[in-house]
Amino acid sequence: MSAFFTQLELGPMFRALMRNKIGALLIALQIALTLTIMVNAIFMMQQRSEQMARASGLDEANTFYLSNTVFAQNYNLKTALQQDLQRIRETPGVVDATQINAIPLSGGGWSMSLQTKAGDDIEGTGTAVYMVDEHGINAMGLELIAGENFQNSDIGWREEGSTQWPPKAIITKALAETMFEGDWKNAVGKTVYIDNHQPVQVIGIIKALQAPWNGWNGVERSMLVPQQLDSKGSRFFIRTEPGRRDELMPVIEKMLAESDRGRIIRNVTSMEQTRDESYREHQATNTILLTVIIVLTLITGFGIIGLAMFSINRRTRQIGTRRALGASQWQVMRYFMLENLLISTAGVVLGAAGAVGLNIWLVSTFSMTPLSPVLLVIGVIALLIVGQLAVSYPALVASKISPATATRGRA
Amino acid sequence: MLTMNNISKSFITDDVVTHALRDIQLHVNEGDFVSVTGPSGSGKTTFLNIAGLLETSSSGEYLLDGEDITKLNDSGRSRMRNQKIGFIFQSFNLIPDLNLFDNVDVPLRYRGLNASERKKRIEYHLDQVGLASRMKHLPSQLSGGQQQRVAIARALATSPRFLLADEPTGNLDSQMAQSVMSLLEDINKAGTTILMVTHDPSLAARAKRQIYIKDGHVSELTQKNSNLHLVGEA
Repeated sequence: MSAFFTQLELGPMFRALMRNKIGALLIALQIALTLTIMVNAIFMMQQRSEQMARASGLDEANTFYLSNTVFAQNYNLKTALQQDLQRIRETPGVVDATQINAIPLSGGGWSMSLQTKAGDDIEGTGTAVYMVDEHGINAMGLELIAGENFQNSDIGWREEGSTQWPPKAIITKALAETMFEGDWKNAVGKTVYIDNHQPVQVIGIIKALQAPWNGWNGVERSMLVPQQLDSKGSRFFIRTEPGRRDELMPVIEKMLAESDRGRIIRNVTSMEQTRDESYREHQATNTILLTVIIVLTLITGFGIIGLAMFSINRRTRQIGTRRALGASQWQVMRYFMLENLLISTAGVVLGAAGAVGLNIWLVSTFSMTPLSPVLLVIGVIALLIVGQLAVSYPALVASKISPATATRGRA
Repeated sequence: MLTMNNISKSFITDDVVTHALRDIQLHVNEGDFVSVTGPSGSGKTTFLNIAGLLETSSSGEYLLDGEDITKLNDSGRSRMRNQKIGFIFQSFNLIPDLNLFDNVDVPLRYRGLNASERKKRIEYHLDQVGLASRMKHLPSQLSGGQQQRVAIARALATSPRFLLADEPTGNLDSQMAQSVMSLLEDINKAGTTILMVTHDPSLAARAKRQIYIKDGHVSELTQKNSNLHLVGEA
């Protein structure tokens, strides 16, 4: 074992590097910069991926929605709405349908503040508000985990400009946990206050339903209220039997359009499309970050190859001399790989400090969660491997230098 | 100690075959001091490289210490060079980024000796060439003669049985050359076999045996009445 470490030549190698700092220092700094950027870029990608992977609570694969815009004069909105919903629900392949005021993850919707006590100066909890009828839970494919659904008798009409809220609500588990300090089961039956003073009784808890805004830190906090909008512009949210969504989307659009010429049916969109559009920016950012990581890693790899090749060309005679003095091909190859490992280690140590520093700034500036040490370790190991892979070819070239170079080359 | 039977070496470049050495027959006894002379391009360096296991012959048999070198692979030849052969080069071939201590240390590390043994040998041999006080200096801080002395210390540190010197005085002034030659003679007297390539007839004459290479053929010279005479293949 002692002989093995002796042959590694770590001491002389380090001292020789110290006498030729510039090239090694530049590569070490490049590795440090790459690690700093790479780890934080992966961290940001990871955060976006986690956001994109969150379940919306909806049966996304089998749901879609459309806009219904009435332009006819003297139009009976209330009657037409009930008739439309009836027609949709009776369409073969449709599981259920509801009118809704906003679409999860769409970027636009309603929000209110809920309080556990009434009062103007009480701090509330922000929540997205979805107005649905008693078909809402089934139409969206939500899971009721406590309490009960709305009854038909609970559903009221909300006139345009109204500030009145219905006396009942169903809230998400996340909202219940936030408002009742984690004790979500006890939220059922409790009274909360909306618009500072209006009491609302929580009659049920749904497992999950995301708000329309994916970047909001309260995206999991939503409430359903039993209301239908008396409005010329509304949306229908429809759930189909598994696998029939794409088939039924044009069927229902046509059926609604032909059943009443006093309105326009448009924006027929699946929830999967909405999710894709919602996270398009995230996906683009991740692609850019991934490109940056790949490009930086390649530049670093090529930098290492370039420095190693330059160094080998400069030291051809020296390598021949080492071979003449008894170094085997493997020992020459190992010398260059170890030399790179020393440089890379200096780089990753610097880079790790840089990555942590940059992360502290990101966390304090953008309220992000801190970097995982595991990610940092993975980044360090990955760059050391990249370094070793990059130097392996030049090291192989060096190992093939003939010992006769010691006598033949006069450079 | 060194026996070459029908050693030939040819190089092929663009379908042109160049015969550098032709059917060399040579026997060197333990304790010999053999000088090798010959015109430029005669094959001296090729001969030295094959003798020092720096390159392989195209054909023939080469026995070093009774071992058939032609049967060794690259790794075996590397081990043999480290254990049995010391090299002195015309351009000294010291590693410029290493100080004298680390330079002499290079072959000892390949040998796998422990730190205290290496230190003892390095200090002894640098002292032997009069440079013990400068072991932390870099080669660039020394004169040519001093650098060649360090190279000699490096060659001797592994206690080789066979020392190969390629124009060891070629880059030195006459005074330094005499000094280095005296050192080589002392080393030979201590029992190390030496094979030295040189252009300098006066230095070659100081060897116990002289061989002459021309057009890839080796002949042995003897000295009679201050005139050199070819006596046939060595």
